[in-house]
Amino acid sequence: MAIYKVSYVIIDKDNPGTILNQNHAPLEGEIVQLGDDIFEIVEVLELVPPRGEFHYIHVTCKAIKNFKR
Amino acid sequence: MDLTQVLQSIDLFEGLAADEIEKVARICSEKQFSKGQIITKEGERGDELFIITEGFVEVLLGEKPTSAALIVVSLGSGQVTGEMALIDQGPRSATLKAISDPTVLQVIQRHHFEQLCQENTHIGYIVMRNLAADLSFKLRHRNLNQR
Repeated sequence: MAIYKVSYVIIDKDNPGTILNQNHAPLEGEIVQLGDDIFEIVEVLELVPPRGEFHYIHVTCKAIKNFKR
Repeated sequence: MDLTQVLQSIDLFEGLAADEIEKVARICSEKQFSKGQIITKEGERGDELFIITEGFVEVLLGEKPTSAALIVVSLGSGQVTGEMALIDQGPRSATLKAISDPTVLQVIQRHHFEQLCQENTHIGYIVMRNLAADLSFKLRHRNLNQR
Protein backbone atom coordinates (compact mmCIF):
# COMPACT_ATOMS: atom_id res chain seq x y z
CA MET A 1 0.00 0.00 0.00
CA ALA A 2 1.39 3.39 -0.98
CA ILE A 3 2.17 5.86 1.79
CA TYR A 4 2.52 9.57 1.07
CA LYS A 5 4.89 11.63 3.19
CA VAL A 6 3.58 15.13 2.61
CA SER A 7 5.19 18.48 3.34
CA TYR A 8 2.36 21.04 3.65
CA VAL A 9 3.40 24.67 3.24
CA ILE A 10 0.82 27.40 3.83
CA ILE A 11 0.83 30.63 1.83
CA ASP A 12 -0.48 33.98 3.05
CA LYS A 13 -0.49 32.82 6.65
CA ASP A 14 1.94 32.87 9.53
CA ASN A 15 2.03 29.09 9.70
CA PRO A 16 5.14 26.88 9.71
CA GLY A 17 3.41 24.08 7.84
CA THR A 18 3.10 20.40 8.63
CA ILE A 19 4.76 17.14 7.67
CA LEU A 20 2.72 13.97 7.97
CA ASN A 21 2.20 10.54 6.43
CA GLN A 22 -1.12 9.79 4.77
CA ASN A 23 -2.52 6.89 2.78
CA HIS A 24 -3.85 8.86 -0.20
CA ALA A 25 -2.22 11.19 -2.70
CA PRO A 26 -3.03 14.88 -2.14
CA LEU A 27 -4.82 16.58 -5.05
CA GLU A 28 -5.05 20.17 -6.22
CA GLY A 29 -8.36 21.67 -5.08
CA GLU A 30 -8.68 19.23 -2.19
CA ILE A 31 -9.80 20.69 1.14
CA VAL A 32 -7.66 19.58 4.08
CA GLN A 33 -7.73 20.19 7.81
CA LEU A 34 -4.38 20.72 9.54
CA GLY A 35 -4.85 21.24 13.24
CA ASP A 36 -7.77 23.59 13.77
CA ASP A 37 -7.51 25.28 10.36
CA ILE A 38 -8.97 24.41 6.96
CA PHE A 39 -6.94 24.83 3.76
CA GLU A 40 -7.29 24.35 0.02
CA ILE A 41 -4.46 22.63 -1.85
CA VAL A 42 -3.22 24.83 -4.70
CA GLU A 43 -0.05 22.99 -5.79
CA VAL A 44 1.20 19.41 -5.57
CA LEU A 45 4.64 18.26 -6.65
CA GLU A 46 6.83 15.22 -6.14
CA LEU A 47 9.69 16.45 -3.99
CA VAL A 48 12.04 13.47 -4.44
CA PRO A 49 11.61 10.10 -6.22
CA PRO A 50 9.62 7.41 -4.38
CA ARG A 51 11.47 4.82 -2.31
CA GLY A 52 9.69 1.48 -1.91
CA GLU A 53 6.06 2.21 -1.06
CA PHE A 54 6.82 5.73 0.12
CA HIS A 55 6.13 8.82 -1.98
CA TYR A 56 7.61 12.19 -1.03
CA ILE A 57 5.26 15.04 -1.87
CA HIS A 58 5.26 18.79 -1.42
CA VAL A 59 1.92 20.58 -1.17
CA THR A 60 1.19 24.30 -1.10
CA CYS A 61 -2.08 25.35 0.54
CA LYS A 62 -4.02 28.52 1.09
CA ALA A 63 -6.18 29.20 4.09
CA ILE A 64 -9.95 29.23 3.61
CA LYS A 65 -11.79 31.82 5.61
CA ASN A 66 -15.22 31.02 7.04
CA PHE A 67 -15.17 27.46 5.66
CA LYS A 68 -18.32 25.42 6.35
CA ARG A 69 -18.62 21.68 5.68
CA MET B 1 -2.79 -2.71 14.24
CA ASP B 2 0.23 -4.20 16.05
CA LEU B 3 3.50 -2.35 16.49
CA THR B 4 5.33 -4.11 13.64
CA GLN B 5 2.56 -3.06 11.23
CA VAL B 6 2.80 0.51 12.54
CA LEU B 7 6.59 0.53 12.06
CA GLN B 8 6.20 -0.83 8.50
CA SER B 9 4.19 2.30 7.65
CA ILE B 10 7.05 4.58 8.72
CA ASP B 11 9.71 5.41 6.14
CA LEU B 12 12.49 5.33 8.74
CA PHE B 13 12.22 1.54 8.46
CA GLU B 14 11.71 1.29 4.69
CA GLY B 15 13.98 -1.46 3.35
CA LEU B 16 13.99 -3.60 6.52
CA ALA B 17 12.79 -7.21 6.41
CA ALA B 18 9.91 -8.30 8.64
CA ASP B 19 12.23 -9.99 11.15
CA GLU B 20 14.37 -6.84 11.33
CA ILE B 21 11.30 -4.70 12.03
CA GLU B 22 10.41 -7.09 14.85
CA LYS B 23 13.85 -6.45 16.35
CA VAL B 24 13.22 -2.70 16.16
CA ALA B 25 9.79 -3.16 17.77
CA ARG B 26 11.45 -4.88 20.75
CA ILE B 27 13.42 -1.71 21.61
CA CYS B 28 10.41 0.64 21.30
CA SER B 29 8.33 1.79 24.23
CA GLU B 30 5.09 3.75 23.95
CA LYS B 31 4.53 7.11 25.63
CA GLN B 32 1.34 9.18 25.60
CA PHE B 33 1.12 12.93 26.01
CA SER B 34 -1.76 15.34 26.46
CA LYS B 35 -2.33 18.52 24.46
CA GLY B 36 0.13 21.20 25.61
CA GLN B 37 2.50 18.80 27.35
CA ILE B 38 6.24 19.34 26.73
CA ILE B 39 8.04 16.25 25.39
CA THR B 40 11.59 17.63 25.32
CA LYS B 41 13.10 21.06 25.99
CA GLU B 42 15.59 22.91 23.81
CA GLY B 43 19.08 22.77 25.30
CA GLU B 44 18.48 19.69 27.45
CA ARG B 45 20.43 16.47 27.06
CA GLY B 46 18.61 13.97 24.88
CA ASP B 47 18.98 10.21 24.60
CA GLU B 48 15.74 9.32 22.85
CA LEU B 49 14.37 9.14 19.34
CA PHE B 50 10.62 9.69 18.96
CA ILE B 51 8.30 8.25 16.33
CA ILE B 52 4.87 9.89 16.19
CA THR B 53 2.18 7.26 15.74
CA GLU B 54 -0.86 9.40 16.61
CA GLY B 55 -1.51 13.12 16.90
CA PHE B 56 0.72 16.12 16.26
CA VAL B 57 3.91 17.53 17.76
CA GLU B 58 5.00 21.14 17.43
CA VAL B 59 8.71 21.93 17.04
CA LEU B 60 9.57 25.21 18.82
CA LEU B 61 12.70 27.34 18.89
CA GLY B 62 13.88 30.02 21.30
CA GLU B 63 11.19 29.73 23.98
CA LYS B 64 11.87 32.32 26.71
CA PRO B 65 9.81 33.59 29.63
CA THR B 66 9.75 37.04 27.98
CA SER B 67 8.94 36.07 24.39
CA ALA B 68 6.96 33.52 22.43
CA ALA B 69 8.77 30.67 20.74
CA LEU B 70 9.08 30.37 16.97
CA ILE B 71 7.08 27.42 15.67
CA VAL B 72 9.32 25.69 13.11
CA VAL B 73 7.00 22.93 11.94
CA SER B 74 4.18 20.70 13.07
CA LEU B 75 4.84 16.96 12.72
CA GLY B 76 2.09 14.38 12.34
CA SER B 77 1.73 10.63 12.22
CA GLY B 78 4.68 8.69 10.82
CA GLN B 79 7.25 11.39 11.51
CA VAL B 80 10.48 10.97 13.42
CA THR B 81 11.82 13.59 15.80
CA GLY B 82 14.59 13.88 18.36
CA GLU B 83 16.99 12.32 15.86
CA MET B 84 19.57 15.13 15.94
CA ALA B 85 20.47 14.60 19.60
CA LEU B 86 20.50 10.86 18.97
CA ILE B 87 22.97 11.15 16.10
CA ASP B 88 25.30 13.95 17.18
CA GLN B 89 24.84 13.55 20.96
CA GLY B 90 24.43 17.33 21.29
CA PRO B 91 21.73 19.04 23.34
CA ARG B 92 18.14 19.11 22.09
CA SER B 93 17.99 21.59 19.20
CA ALA B 94 14.33 22.45 19.79
CA THR B 95 11.45 22.06 22.20
CA LEU B 96 8.81 19.47 21.31
CA LYS B 97 5.22 20.05 22.44
CA ALA B 98 2.23 17.75 22.03
CA ILE B 99 -0.60 19.69 20.36
CA SER B 100 -3.26 16.99 20.12
CA ASP B 101 -5.03 14.84 22.64
CA PRO B 102 -3.71 12.21 22.83
CA THR B 103 -0.31 12.37 21.18
CA VAL B 104 1.21 8.89 21.03
CA LEU B 105 4.92 8.30 20.49
CA GLN B 106 7.14 5.26 20.17
CA VAL B 107 10.40 5.97 21.97
CA ILE B 108 13.80 4.41 21.22
CA GLN B 109 16.68 4.90 23.68
CA ARG B 110 20.05 5.75 22.13
CA HIS B 111 21.95 2.86 23.74
CA HIS B 112 19.33 0.34 22.53
CA PHE B 113 19.45 1.88 19.05
CA GLU B 114 23.26 1.83 18.86
CA GLN B 115 23.42 -1.72 20.19
CA LEU B 116 20.92 -2.91 17.56
CA CYS B 117 22.82 -1.12 14.75
CA GLN B 118 26.11 -2.71 15.85
CA GLU B 119 24.61 -6.19 16.18
CA ASN B 120 22.91 -5.99 12.77
CA THR B 121 24.80 -3.73 10.38
CA HIS B 122 22.08 -4.06 7.71
CA ILE B 123 19.55 -2.51 10.12
CA GLY B 124 22.16 0.11 11.02
CA TYR B 125 22.83 1.02 7.38
CA ILE B 126 19.15 1.17 6.37
CA VAL B 127 17.99 3.17 9.38
CA MET B 128 20.92 5.62 9.15
CA ARG B 129 20.26 6.08 5.40
CA ASN B 130 16.59 6.71 6.08
CA LEU B 131 17.38 9.11 8.93
CA ALA B 132 19.58 11.11 6.55
CA ALA B 133 16.77 11.15 3.96
CA ASP B 134 14.32 12.29 6.65
CA LEU B 135 16.59 15.17 7.70
CA SER B 136 16.92 16.11 4.02
CA PHE B 137 13.12 16.07 3.60
CA LYS B 138 12.70 18.36 6.62
CA LEU B 139 15.32 20.74 5.22
CA ARG B 140 13.51 20.80 1.85
CA HIS B 141 10.24 21.54 3.68
CA ARG B 142 11.87 24.43 5.54
CA ASN B 143 13.43 25.80 2.32
CA LEU B 144 10.05 25.68 0.54
CA ASN B 145 8.37 27.31 3.51
CA GLN B 146 10.75 30.27 3.24
CA ARG B 147 10.26 30.85 -0.52
